Amino acid sequence: MLKPTKMTRVVIAGTKDLMETTVSTLHRLNVLHVTDYTEETEDFKIGRPQKSASKFSEYLLSLRTLSSQLGVTGKELSSRKKKAELASQFDEKITTLQKEVSSRFDELRSIEYKIKEKEDLISAIKPFFGLPLPLDAYHGYETVNVYTGFIGTDIEPRLSKITDKYEIFTGDYENRKIFALFVPKAFEEEVQKLLRDEYSYVELKVPQLKGNPPVILNELTNEVSALKEKHALIKLELDNINKEYSEFILAADEYLSIETQKAEAPLRFATSPNAFIIDGWVPSRKFAEIESGLAESTGGSVYLARLEEEAKEEDIPIELNNPRPAKPFELLIDTFATPKYKEIDPAIMIFITFPLFYAIMLGDVGYGIVVAVMAFIIKSKFKSGGLNSLALILLLSAVLSIVFGFIYGEFFGFPIFNIEFQGEPEHGILGIAGPVIAGIHLPIHRLESVQSLLLLTLIIGISHVFLGLIIGFRNVTVEHDLKHAIYAKGSWMMILIGGVAAIAKLMPAMMSGTPVPKSDPIFAGGVGLAIIGIILLIKGEGFISILEIPTLLSNVLSYSRILAIGLSSAGIALAVNKIATKLFIFPNGEYLGGGIGLALVGVIVLFIGHLINLLLGILGPGLHSLRLQYVEFFTKFYEGGGKKYTPFGYNKKYTEE
Amino acid sequence: MVVDPSQAGMIAVGAGIAVGLAGIGAGMGEQAIGAAAVGAMAEDEKFFGKGLLMTVIPESIAIFGLVVALILLFVF
Repeated sequence: MLKPTKMTRVVIAGTKDLMETTVSTLHRLNVLHVTDYTEETEDFKIGRPQKSASKFSEYLLSLRTLSSQLGVTGKELSSRKKKAELASQFDEKITTLQKEVSSRFDELRSIEYKIKEKEDLISAIKPFFGLPLPLDAYHGYETVNVYTGFIGTDIEPRLSKITDKYEIFTGDYENRKIFALFVPKAFEEEVQKLLRDEYSYVELKVPQLKGNPPVILNELTNEVSALKEKHALIKLELDNINKEYSEFILAADEYLSIETQKAEAPLRFATSPNAFIIDGWVPSRKFAEIESGLAESTGGSVYLARLEEEAKEEDIPIELNNPRPAKPFELLIDTFATPKYKEIDPAIMIFITFPLFYAIMLGDVGYGIVVAVMAFIIKSKFKSGGLNSLALILLLSAVLSIVFGFIYGEFFGFPIFNIEFQGEPEHGILGIAGPVIAGIHLPIHRLESVQSLLLLTLIIGISHVFLGLIIGFRNVTVEHDLKHAIYAKGSWMMILIGGVAAIAKLMPAMMSGTPVPKSDPIFAGGVGLAIIGIILLIKGEGFISILEIPTLLSNVLSYSRILAIGLSSAGIALAVNKIATKLFIFPNGEYLGGGIGLALVGVIVLFIGHLINLLLGILGPGLHSLRLQYVEFFTKFYEGGGKKYTPFGYNKKYTEE
Repeated sequence: MVVDPSQAGMIAVGAGIAVGLAGIGAGMGEQAIGAAAVGAMAEDEKFFGKGLLMTVIPESIAIFGLVVALILLFVF
């Protein structure tokens, strides 16, 4: 919690004959983060991949081609495949599969191509139904040119000015006029010019076929349906192959990926003609696993050392270490940047503040329930990965939104309890007055208590920014020293606290028009503290840092979005409800006063309005809550730039030893 | 602060201007970022999250406008 997992640097050295065993053991343990060896010396070179590497990767390539041709998708297997079984038969099976699949697949492609060709022909022929000529009448002349196409006007008057030696056929196709014009080649230039100038002319090419269009069309249609039948047949065969072999393909893919990974591992090691060295990191608590694992597999013939000396902070891989409920929030950390080894990992703080901000913004029982159900569905569909984390984050936020919805007394914008809104009493859904909990009279109607909620958001903002500065103070102290921390972060804390104290006294005085309370100890102390802070800041960071002081104000004011987003969402919900009920369902205060039709319109307005508001209600609070973390909170302390811990190994899904 | 009824309309107009102009400003800021974010996403879909986040950063301005409007309407 708060800090990444403690890491230990490990160096493993041994003779080359033990390399394969060592690699296998490490791969199985799946705990060592290997540091790639890059600086070659005279004695030590980057290792060469094992001979089997090229064989495995070739098979892997063919297998993946097969997999995409068959459309194999990841799924649960009935049982895991044994590794030994796969190792003995994968080459044979892949070769057979290739024979079975690739010829069929090629045929499928060629049939698809043919179908496409014929269908193109069909659509090219159809317009010529409008003309009384067989298709072979359109070509094969030595002295005559044929022009065919759609045209919008009668061109004969203009044509007859060029020559009277022509023949024209016209007809209709789908309400457009089609024509075929036969003119001696001698008039080619003039006729072409005429057609070029005629804007409504669209040229149509006549397919090089013989016979009457309807007859040809019939033939082509028959051919296409025959081809489609054949296509379906082959597709079925491929589907059957897919059904039979998909488990093998998935398992073999995993097996070959693992073997390729192992065979290529030496590319990351330092090797001499007879020895190898592996340099890497392991979570300190797992060091013993490597120690005992290697002792067992190599009989203690491999040298293993734990280096306690300080390494460069950037070189240490980072494994975030948080309690289970806060785990999904690591996604939000990684999206921004992986922390450095000595930095504070803020996941646990986001775990508290992100859902809180979200809930204060959304704060509606109805929306909360809908979002929670959606998140639950996503969570059960995606058992792992980013979407699963996102769903868990959303679920937590939605549940908290329901709580805040209760506090605000809102259910899809309708009041839950009896309230007085803008001076008029309104009946709530439950029909009772709000309860009093811990001395607070519920509900707190958002639109009626803007002033106090605004104050609350500013208090949240000040505390959140201050928390960021405290963490920043700690980070700078660890990375540099206390003096730097006071200059860089302490100064900001003083400005923030001092500024808040001074403004808290100044604002009421200005609002009521009384003179500035210069002698008030809190005001004077605040101003004094802020000035000391500014002096420290200038001393530490230079004169130019004065320009940054206003950002503190905008950072704190930025938290007013917690109120603003919530108000706009509540406002939209209220407006939708008002329009739907007052205008359509209860016109003039009479139930169904405008008839069923009007009431239905009201229901539609209600549905669409809330749907849009709900979508905005997921996006808006989510993004803005995240933005407050990233822009206002993280900038106070977070640098990031660590490498993620990626252990050498494989998370097996389809195979077992 | 007690407001003369004849000035109440001016407050509403002021609130409207605050939200409207702030919205236009935020929009102008977002258009450039949004275009760049879509460009980045065309290269690599993983930029979706970051792009979306970058795009909402100028939205602060709109929210400041909204807050000013709220203060005008509810506090005065």
